[in-house]
Amino acid sequence: MSFFRRLFGLTDTRVEESGDRIETAAPQEVTTPPPRPAPAQTRPLGPLEEYISPSRRIRVGYASDIGQVRSNNQDTLLVLATSSEGNKPSQPMGLFIVADGMGGHHDGERASMVAAQTIAIHVTRELYLPSLQNHQPDAEQKTISEVLAEALDAANAAVNADVPEGGTTVTCAVVRGDLAYVAHVGDSRAYLIVEGQPSMELLTRDHSLVRRLQELGQLTPEEAEVHPQRNVLYRAIGQGDTLEVDATTRRLPPSARLMLCSDGLWGAVDDSHILQILREYADPQEACERLIQAANEGGGPDNITVIVVQMPR
Amino acid sequence: MQQLSNQQPRETKHIEEESAIAPLEGTLQPGQILQNRYRILGILGIGGMGAVYQARDLHFPNVTKLCAVKEMINIATDQGLREQMVKNFEREAEILATLSHPAIPQIYDYFSFGDRAYLVMEYIQGKDLEGLMNGTDQFLPVEQIRKWAVEICDVLHYLHTHQPPIIFRDMKPSNIMIDHHRRVRLIDFGIAKAFQSGQKGTMIGTEGYSPPEQYKGDASPAGDMYALGATLHHLLTRSDPRLEPPFSFEDRPIKNYNPEVPDRMASIVMRALSYNFAERFPSAEAMKQALELLAPDVVIQTIASSETKVMGGSTPTPEASFAPEGVIPIWVFEAEDEIRSSPIVVDGVVYFGGYDNNLWAIDAKTGAQKWKFPTDGGIGSSPAYAHDTLYIGSEDRRLYAIDATKGETRWTFLTEGRIFTTPCVALNHVYFGSDDGNVYALKASTGRKVWAFPTARPVRSSPTVSGERVFFGSEAGDFYALAVSGDETAWHFRARRGITSSPLVQEKIVYFGSSDWTMYALDAETGFVVWRYRTRKQIVSSPRIFSGTVYFGSADGAVYALDALSGREIWQYETGGQVTSTPFVNERGLYVGSVDGNLYCLHPDTGDLLWNFQSGGSIISSPTVYDNIVYVGSTDYRLYALPA
Repeated sequence: MSFFRRLFGLTDTRVEESGDRIETAAPQEVTTPPPRPAPAQTRPLGPLEEYISPSRRIRVGYASDIGQVRSNNQDTLLVLATSSEGNKPSQPMGLFIVADGMGGHHDGERASMVAAQTIAIHVTRELYLPSLQNHQPDAEQKTISEVLAEALDAANAAVNADVPEGGTTVTCAVVRGDLAYVAHVGDSRAYLIVEGQPSMELLTRDHSLVRRLQELGQLTPEEAEVHPQRNVLYRAIGQGDTLEVDATTRRLPPSARLMLCSDGLWGAVDDSHILQILREYADPQEACERLIQAANEGGGPDNITVIVVQMPR
Repeated sequence: MQQLSNQQPRETKHIEEESAIAPLEGTLQPGQILQNRYRILGILGIGGMGAVYQARDLHFPNVTKLCAVKEMINIATDQGLREQMVKNFEREAEILATLSHPAIPQIYDYFSFGDRAYLVMEYIQGKDLEGLMNGTDQFLPVEQIRKWAVEICDVLHYLHTHQPPIIFRDMKPSNIMIDHHRRVRLIDFGIAKAFQSGQKGTMIGTEGYSPPEQYKGDASPAGDMYALGATLHHLLTRSDPRLEPPFSFEDRPIKNYNPEVPDRMASIVMRALSYNFAERFPSAEAMKQALELLAPDVVIQTIASSETKVMGGSTPTPEASFAPEGVIPIWVFEAEDEIRSSPIVVDGVVYFGGYDNNLWAIDAKTGAQKWKFPTDGGIGSSPAYAHDTLYIGSEDRRLYAIDATKGETRWTFLTEGRIFTTPCVALNHVYFGSDDGNVYALKASTGRKVWAFPTARPVRSSPTVSGERVFFGSEAGDFYALAVSGDETAWHFRARRGITSSPLVQEKIVYFGSSDWTMYALDAETGFVVWRYRTRKQIVSSPRIFSGTVYFGSADGAVYALDALSGREIWQYETGGQVTSTPFVNERGLYVGSVDGNLYCLHPDTGDLLWNFQSGGSIISSPTVYDNIVYVGSTDYRLYALPA
């Protein structure tokens, strides 16, 4: 069993200063059972850590795995997070992307990578840099939804140009304050998990033929699972000049979790089992690794990628 | 048989798993002669199984008789598959040979040799509907489309009532030719199959036009009706269903694309597109009859027989049926001048200001006057109430604090400009703006000034206090979030034009409109734009939020409902005049006035008109609802109490 994984994160540093911030934990190898973060991989926490309740932080876990069947990992994940502290601290902001590529040869993995990088570059230029330059808000300022829509358009153009035979799903979210802006194309998913709620809430709608047929009551979930066209998407990045993006904005209540994942997770593990694992493991990194483990135990038919964003209490 | 579609398969996943179609070799060249009879002239199209050629029949040496020669090259290596393919091709030949209808091409000949089989049929001169659409960027004439639709229904009826019934299964613009007599001709019967009830078919068909049940392998006459509906939808809207989510016609009303399409034409097409095939037309003949009734020469009598149908742009919901044109006021109170102020109701008393200079107190049940309080100027703003005190500004530049029971002055405060803002009472202070450019904070009990915050231009946007901050806009286009202490600007936002609309803060987002035509939703903490939504004119109306939806009006005449977190439009409703009134929303309805003189009651979820009431003037005043009664003022000097 190969545990080769592709991980892509522009930042995975631990910020030592105190305050509201986004902490991206170091990714772990997936083993059974996964160990806690090894001291060698993570710098010890500085003394300032004591001044602040860790619960005020947004914490992020992420992992990606090739699965049990595929010969390569066509998924890409990307995490880009900033925090600032000081006299006038700005709100922490994070960009989270899951992309599931498709196409022969290496086109799938290239398409998902090109899309994720293009989105990150665009969001950096349009959101992170103005924020770091302390721009006064005005009517000319782009909204996060607009920036994400442009970023996905740019990703579409980049994939069309660079990987003409490939395509990719993209599910991405910008979290700023307690608002999550989700943009989505394809069948990767975003879930909202709120403490005290009996189930997870699916924030995205798969752009797949079988999902559409289910929505219309033409297929049962059981029929959809074995449908020969269950992998047919009707919308993806890199499939033409025009792209329609689904966008939604949601408030993340205290302690809520936002989970982004590829179909390698939701196709292999029941929602109830996913929720059970998320409840069992408070640490988002550990939760991600357990989820991947569960998908592999379920046959690991596809690449598995998951990001868990944990809001502070 | 593979259809000759140049549409690429839209499957985007697992491309590597698709069996690659071998490039076609050995295409016939122009000049080649088949059976000593058919000289190939050129290629009309190429499909996965072979080409379709244009050829000339040499049995008619003195005239040019053209024909279409459809070729199947059997490339299957598996013997069973080979035989199946030959059988399919022969079946198409046999089906076509038995048919006789003006819209179905004639078949002349069938022969095979080696790996190849050929079907010789009538060459149809003309253009297919996809080509016709692509040849123009205009809408095709609706009446022309209707006539084609009648002809298509006719041929479908012929096919469906044939023995055995034939399902066309691949109805789409590119399979419908318009010949040089401008008649409809169906081409490509490649997948038409003799229909045996209950038989499972294989899954072929062009995504975008094919019915939902086809993905389960069900083929039925109702499926052809759906595909015809999809084809007509495409023709009428120019919106290609292959580029839209599957089966999304219901979300894409024809009128939104092409306002020329009559309602009844649109509803015929939408009926053909019902997901549930029992809701479609029972037969092609039934749909044909419905379409024929729309012909221009029969329109008059059908309109006469259904005259009650179309009233205004919106379909009344069942709840609306009880409220026809006659909404009868419970009472009407006539003031001495225009009423632009918005009434408030406290403990059974309605308070509002008039341009007759008075602040009025009226019994909410009976409309009887309790008292009136005269100021020295017109009152355009609305009163605020707290602790048995009413606070109201006047054009006489004063803010008044009035005993609500007796209608007597408690204190007044003089500013340098007229006051059009509604005061906000919070934390024992009164906050209001003045045309002198200041926002004032006064002690609520004494009227003593605590602070004044100067802006460059008049302030007509009523301040609101939320958390520890005062939010308001100015006519200069600046929007401020001030500390309630008045000594610090937490943030400041600049719109492109003035801000008259009053802010509303909910769930850490502040909403307000601007004369730059935009509704803004800003993060209340930072001023960061969460979303913005642009209308077609200035927004003076103030936003209201109910159940996660933000409602407001615009000078473009529409009332808007947007998702409060994303700014996504849920609906809009067109009134006959500018909407500067601020809506009142509860679970029963959205109430809003328009300069066209009406008070509208709309369904909060759908924007459907529930009822409207015509006043004698413009309704600029914002309605309020109390104990199932709507109160609203009009420039006809009257305050109306209407049943909510």
